[in-house]
Amino acid sequence: MLRFIEYSILFIVVAFLQIFLFNNLHVGYFMNPFIYLAFIILLPVDLSDYKLLLLGLFTGVMMDVFMGTPGINVMATVFVAFLRPALIRLFLLKDEVDEGGVPNLHKLGIVKFLNYSFLMVFLHCTTFFMLESMSFAGFGYTLLKILVNTASTLIAVYFIQLIFLFKRSKAL
Amino acid sequence: MYRFFLFLKRIGYVFLFIVIEVLAFRYYSDSSGYSQARMLSISNSLTGGVYSAFADVRQYFYLGSENKKLTEEVANLRGELAKYEEYGRFFPELKLPDSLAVYEYGTAKVVNNSINRAENFMILNKGINHGIRPNSAVVSDGAVAGYVMESNNKFSIAMSILNTKFKTSGKIKGDNNSSGSVFWDAKKYDEVVFSEVPKYADIKIGDTVVTTEFSSRFPEGINIGTVKSFELINGTYYEARVELLARMGALNNMVLIYYTDMDDKQELEDSYR
Repeated sequence: MLRFIEYSILFIVVAFLQIFLFNNLHVGYFMNPFIYLAFIILLPVDLSDYKLLLLGLFTGVMMDVFMGTPGINVMATVFVAFLRPALIRLFLLKDEVDEGGVPNLHKLGIVKFLNYSFLMVFLHCTTFFMLESMSFAGFGYTLLKILVNTASTLIAVYFIQLIFLFKRSKAL
Repeated sequence: MYRFFLFLKRIGYVFLFIVIEVLAFRYYSDSSGYSQARMLSISNSLTGGVYSAFADVRQYFYLGSENKKLTEEVANLRGELAKYEEYGRFFPELKLPDSLAVYEYGTAKVVNNSINRAENFMILNKGINHGIRPNSAVVSDGAVAGYVMESNNKFSIAMSILNTKFKTSGKIKGDNNSSGSVFWDAKKYDEVVFSEVPKYADIKIGDTVVTTEFSSRFPEGINIGTVKSFELINGTYYEARVELLARMGALNNMVLIYYTDMDDKQELEDSYR
């Protein structure tokens, strides 16, 4: 139960930050950090695959509605939620997965966490920007958008998990 | 048997993923500027209040420069008015009836604006209750910024010129043979593309691109931007990169222009299709 409340708070915080802060940052030409990905990245390791997919769907739809993007967020987020179990298994041993917990810095160590987050964020941004630019901007610009946003999202996710970690260790 | 159920579970999971993606893709390919605007309009009923609060705070920082701009504009308009009043003195019988007003003007403030996506929208703080209607042009400091797509009672959603679905016609100021299409290619937030310009048009760097009379949303002669560079494509037409005159990153007070015969025109066009 406590876990549910914690994650709900995380979702609300991340959604608010995304909608009111990060969507309006007019920094550079196309920087749009997707901090809501932190929610998907930090979900418990022992959560069932189905629930992961559905949470990804929920997050994607919420973000689509508030950003006015036509389904792009859903496609990118659900894709990443689908791949998450496989990615987790890349970085964690089977028994570590079974014991559950949050895949944050504390559990994975900085290298693995950065690799894991990077993969999640990179796959998401690639899907997002390739869908967005279906008919326009040449591949060069799309690639630049993917790189810039992957970097900025990664930084944002790192800071969110620092805060989240703080909450968790307090509960301990 | 248990293994079989495990297998089904795995298949079911992949299947669910594929179903979700296919549905999302269908929604994505069916979406138009209108459906996006409607979606934003719905979500805005929750966020509009917050955006307005932030915008109110932001505008305090702009008060000084806005004031200066407005005073200058008033001075210019008074000058123009004085000219027409002079003409009027020579022809006292000529009095323009109000019904000749082809365009209706109004104002609104931008409470939220995006510039960093491929399809950007603006949220204006006036809606149906204030008489704002879809297809009103949104103009910032005499330069095109977009047009209203959807209004609810308190807010309106406008498609920004920085939107890959935005298209209008433009021409070089002073050269009526140079009309081409104006659109955005999602590259920079201060540049749009002015293309399909006939090769006999007189185009040079620094020329101002303005709206033409072909658009029913924008009155003729409203600034769009200045030509930054251009090239001849296939020896048939020019394609130019135009630096926008509207500062999309700092939009504040906007003038809204509505073509009063829009409903009739729209009806005729719809029945024709």
